[in-house]
Amino acid sequence: MTRKQKRLSVILAGLAFLAAATGLTFYALGQKASYFYMPADLATASVPPGQRIRLGGLVEKGTIVRGQGATVAFSVTDKQKSVKVTYTGILPDLFREEQGVITEGTFGPDGVFVADSVLAKHDERYMPKEVADGLKAKGVWQESTN
Amino acid sequence: MLFWVIAAILTLGASLAVLLPLTGGMKGASPAGDHDLEVYRDQLSELDRDMARGLIQPGEAEEARAEIGRRILRLGAVEQPGAATLKPSRSARLIASVAVLAVPLLSWGLYGMLGSPDLPSQPLAQRLAKNPADSSVDELVARAEAHLAANPSDGKGWDVLAPIYLRLQRFPDAVTAYRNAIRLDGDSAVRQSGLGEAIASAAGGIVSADAQQAFEAALKLDPANAKANFYLGVGLSQEGRKAEAVAAWQKMLGQLPPDSPWRNAVQQALAEAGGPAVADAAPTNGPDAQQVEAAQQMSPQDRQAMIETMVAGLDDKLKQNPRDEEGWMRLIRSYVVLGKADQARDALGRAVAAFGADSEQARKFTAFAASLGVTATE
Amino acid sequence: MVETGHFALVLAFALSLVQMLVPLVGARTGNQRLMAVGGPVTVTGFALTALSFAALASAYAGSDFSVASVWENSHSLQPMIYKITGTWGNHEGSMLLWVLILTFFGALVAVFGNNLPATLKANVLAVQGMIGAAFFLFILATSNPFIRLNPAPIEGRDLNPILQDLGLAIHPPMLYLGYVGFSICFSFSVAALIEGRIDASWARWVRPWTLVAWMFLTGGIAMGSYWAYYELGWGGFWFWDPVENASFMPWLAGTALLHSAIVMEKRSALKIWTLLLAILTFSLSLLGTFLVRSGVLTSVHAFATDPTRGVFILCILTLFIGGSLTLFALRASTLTAGGLFHPISREGALVLNNLFLTTATATVLVGTLYPLALEALTGGKISVGAPFFDLTFGPLMLPLLAIVPFGPLLAWKRGDVIAASQRLMAAFALAIAAMLVTGLFIDGASVFAALGVGLAVWLVAGALTDLAVKSGFGSVAPAVALRRFAGLPRSVFGTALAHLGLGLTLLGIVGTLCFGTEKILSMHPGETVELSGHTLRFEGLSPQKGPNFTEDRGRFLLMGADGNADGEIASAKRFYPVRQTVTTESGIRTLGFSQLYLSLGDENKDGSVVVRLWWKPLVTLIWGGGLVMMAGAAMSLLDRRLRVGAPAKRRNPAGALADST
Repeated sequence: MTRKQKRLSVILAGLAFLAAATGLTFYALGQKASYFYMPADLATASVPPGQRIRLGGLVEKGTIVRGQGATVAFSVTDKQKSVKVTYTGILPDLFREEQGVITEGTFGPDGVFVADSVLAKHDERYMPKEVADGLKAKGVWQESTN
Repeated sequence: MLFWVIAAILTLGASLAVLLPLTGGMKGASPAGDHDLEVYRDQLSELDRDMARGLIQPGEAEEARAEIGRRILRLGAVEQPGAATLKPSRSARLIASVAVLAVPLLSWGLYGMLGSPDLPSQPLAQRLAKNPADSSVDELVARAEAHLAANPSDGKGWDVLAPIYLRLQRFPDAVTAYRNAIRLDGDSAVRQSGLGEAIASAAGGIVSADAQQAFEAALKLDPANAKANFYLGVGLSQEGRKAEAVAAWQKMLGQLPPDSPWRNAVQQALAEAGGPAVADAAPTNGPDAQQVEAAQQMSPQDRQAMIETMVAGLDDKLKQNPRDEEGWMRLIRSYVVLGKADQARDALGRAVAAFGADSEQARKFTAFAASLGVTATE
Repeated sequence: MVETGHFALVLAFALSLVQMLVPLVGARTGNQRLMAVGGPVTVTGFALTALSFAALASAYAGSDFSVASVWENSHSLQPMIYKITGTWGNHEGSMLLWVLILTFFGALVAVFGNNLPATLKANVLAVQGMIGAAFFLFILATSNPFIRLNPAPIEGRDLNPILQDLGLAIHPPMLYLGYVGFSICFSFSVAALIEGRIDASWARWVRPWTLVAWMFLTGGIAMGSYWAYYELGWGGFWFWDPVENASFMPWLAGTALLHSAIVMEKRSALKIWTLLLAILTFSLSLLGTFLVRSGVLTSVHAFATDPTRGVFILCILTLFIGGSLTLFALRASTLTAGGLFHPISREGALVLNNLFLTTATATVLVGTLYPLALEALTGGKISVGAPFFDLTFGPLMLPLLAIVPFGPLLAWKRGDVIAASQRLMAAFALAIAAMLVTGLFIDGASVFAALGVGLAVWLVAGALTDLAVKSGFGSVAPAVALRRFAGLPRSVFGTALAHLGLGLTLLGIVGTLCFGTEKILSMHPGETVELSGHTLRFEGLSPQKGPNFTEDRGRFLLMGADGNADGEIASAKRFYPVRQTVTTESGIRTLGFSQLYLSLGDENKDGSVVVRLWWKPLVTLIWGGGLVMMAGAAMSLLDRRLRVGAPAKRRNPAGALADST
């Protein structure tokens, strides 16, 4: 191989590497990103059981039920529809009725959302952004309620 | 003043940092090529050291040496064409003067827009330590609190602070302060009546049993205590015993000196309680005089129990006959007085339901409850 | 004092304008006097910024609630340490810290840069001045920490409780030292582009700055990770949260820069690439600042959010990244390209390192920004989390880690892979043995776990092999080898330590992820639970009172084999009344390199408490490895080579000392 050919092959190898990395990145974006829904969105979007999504909304008043051990059931609502959620683990410190919450997990075959992580709003001035936007879009949430 | 001196010194310093180099002498700067040469020399000596340590093979070292040599040669070939001009041009002078002027002008201008030069620093410790005459009420209170936190047995301190709390509408704090003052400095009519007012105000204006007790204690010490008399009247009227309230106030009016500040309050209360209240003076649902008499001789626990029984009775009555406007209001108030906020809320809900959510009565209930600090939902 | 600080800040802004313009014009026209302005102005600007910061810190320490930012973020009952750290525990104060560090580094260049070519120094200081001016303006216009309240409130509103922690008090300054350290590399690059030439001393200056920045960034990331681990109570050490990614991207790019700067210094090759990398690294630092400060992210980090600030920082971002990249596009062709080299060589290995690291940076960038872009364009909301990064970042890291031990053993220009492999035989055997032991003898170990342990051992053993080979153990007499070992250049130790630290971190990650165990249960007082051979007894909840909080403290006794208590672990639910906030304080006990971690949940009606327990084997190595990496960077900084800029007009006493060793 001449010097030029060598150089060319190095450059080609580099480009192939980059192409592979790009392909992988976009494949991963398609497969591994989880979409955000609010309860009312689920009526129109069909989410098959087992697909990971993020479900956000308010914790519906009076629906928090502590089961045996550390399992908790509650409903997430956007004041239009609500979805039953179960979660095993420790709820965040700011988890309360009527507060914004984002849960991540999958739907079970019985239509109950099984969350493996629950995020609550993080301080007094902060509502999870997706939840706030979603509620505003549905006209449910007014700015600065307290 | 000190601030402006410091600001002027800082500005002077900053301007000098710009000015001095502009007027200073020139140091002969070495051309860039010299720097490069020094770096390459250093690389050569490093190569020698590495070889001595056996870090690289002699062959590689030779090659590297040759390469550094080539770089040094190249350096000579592309030597900078001509040294930089040293003559300061007119434009340079212009820039220099603009720069020197810009520092004070810009900083004073901008600070003038943004700053609050008249406002001194106010560290909390200093604020609490300065001459009381210059302090705001908040500061004085904070100071007194700090003092009392350190000397909690200073009864006089509590005595001073308590009425201030009352005026600042910090009612629970006022209750504590009055209680402490009474505990440490003993009873007095003023303290007891103040305690009564604080308790009543903390409960949203309701003269509860505790408040009543305090007022009565005050009257025992000074039968003419206007505040105690007035509030006891309020208490009577709140219990629905309007006729008795009116009688108490009228008696009070007779005893008050003509320039008393209480005169107005009493007259107003009388006007509000006026005609109809007197007319419909026979309280059907309230405890009768004997019950009250009995209550006064009971221990506090028994009295509490009696009151609760009476409230429960009222509640039952309203369950059977829900269209009793005044009854509902009494019930809500009673629960508030007893400190049972949940039941008060529940009663409000039932009252609203009894008359229909849109009815005038419902609005009245809600407003009334809100004045007591109860809202339909949390 | 407060107003003096405010005035000093305004004055520092005015000076930064002078700093960005006058030396630049001087360098363009060759006017020595104008160029000479840069140094004193930079140093004075730093002094004023320091004065301003000190004024703010004293306002915080003295609870001066006439300052709005103090009122919003402090409380008179807070312990003194958190009063002081509260200075930068909020948006305004942290931006002031940012410019303080920026002006500090600028001043270091001004003071120690006497051996730099005058025009290069002037241009570098001018670019620093531009960055400074932009951020001073940002602070004064949108985030002024000196806004006053009159009359002053008597009590403050408390610092966000989750920020009242020593770890978080140290984390931002470290991170900023890292971010801002890269600004010097950026300034050197832009200065070189403005001049159209790269001096030989360029790489010698850029490399130590890269090392400093990288060292602090490593520390900052490790500290932030440890803080999230114990303070958030979730037991995770890395969440692929956008704010974490924001600091991780400059670290990855900075690591690439660190390596390419070596090639540039030693071989005068990869010049243009190194320059570009320096620009990109600082751009990512700015992006990190933007992501955190603008509040465009939904994130576990609760820092301030304000759209006007976001737009302002976006403008700064566009100006600097766009401007420097345009300059690069225009001027890069005028720079002389560097030398050539064989693919199999130290340079080749370093290029490969750069290829992997920059690609990895790109995947993290895509994963971080794609959700934002998608939402801005289509309104769709997605979240990109660990599964995405496992699939993209992971495969890029594995081959990179596998080739790390080869790099230092290859010669410059033309390396010998066979010889290097032979030298690494022992390390390789050790790694295979570790894999086999893990796979065969540890219950439940997956293939991935075995592979991970093997890779970690390979990195550690490879780093030690590098030291052994360079000092000649096995080929010369032990005494000679020992002497040589002591005489090895510090940078050789630095490399070995950094690679060793990487191996330790990997070992910690693999240990925690693959062998960790977890239990969630509700416990009554007196009950015991067993986890990976450790027995814990719940003693019950007891209320406690702190300076500005109350807490329910749950005590757990660690039971020894003999049935006696071996120690106590306490986890607490804290309530901060001022902000009406509850936080969870996790209970951690370190046993060797491993930790028992537990956090309290809610109390049930029957008096039992939900408890989550983890056994985290080797978890401390994750951050311990980070410390070792920092030590490596510090070691390299001590190397005398890196302290020599160019013409040694004055004899450097420290250099002389290093000579005599």
